[in-house]
Amino acid sequence: MELTSDNTGGAVIVKAVGRVDGANARDFHEGLEARIGADGESMVLDFEGLTYISSAGLRVVLLVAKTLQQKDAKLAVCSLSGSIREVFEISGFDKIVPVYTDSGEAVSGLGL
Amino acid sequence: MSLELGGDRAELERLATAVEEFAQQQGWPAAVVFKVHLVLEELVINVMAHGGRGGDTEIEVAVRSGEDLISISVVDNGVAFDPLTEAPEPETSGPIEDRDAGGLGVHLVRTMMDDVSYRREADRNRLTMTTPKS
Repeated sequence: MELTSDNTGGAVIVKAVGRVDGANARDFHEGLEARIGADGESMVLDFEGLTYISSAGLRVVLLVAKTLQQKDAKLAVCSLSGSIREVFEISGFDKIVPVYTDSGEAVSGLGL
Repeated sequence: MSLELGGDRAELERLATAVEEFAQQQGWPAAVVFKVHLVLEELVINVMAHGGRGGDTEIEVAVRSGEDLISISVVDNGVAFDPLTEAPEPETSGPIEDRDAGGLGVHLVRTMMDDVSYRREADRNRLTMTTPKS
């Protein structure tokens, strides 16, 4: 799993590539925490290159969403594959983390 | 395929590799491969985390590819635990403050797989399930 990020006017867009599982969820968490910005700066997780995520990775998404909420910021995800979207929906994460088709839509959807 | 795993998280990589190889041999579609990976990881991690056997953990994973169905079994020497009745049902509809990731793994397994069945047999937990091949 690799993370790269890009700051685009008020939000940080983080691209995750590869697999997030129980073996590397901690790295995923640390990588995302390190990219959390100032209060009010939202984050978009771009999952276009993500091929796999299990509940260990979903837990990280939830923790980051909670941290951002405390900082008056939001978390959104975009570019989910069919399988990842299914996992998101079964977990009910689509009701707390908005899902967009791509990062451009996510940025405008967050009102940035 | 069948595989014996110990209690160390590093075993997850061995499991993922074995599933990947078997899936390729069988020519499963990507969505099916994803599902089998996910379900096995969730079940194996639960045993590692809650089975109570530490370094003596023994987990046997078997996956059979039939004509229409894939059959999976996970057998472990952990404390008796029936995930179908004893796992907490996670909150999946409330606001973010009420959410907790506990129980999501079992919830995913129960939702994504068919014919999920649990038996305690000879001091082992035996969980079996199926999913369509396509």
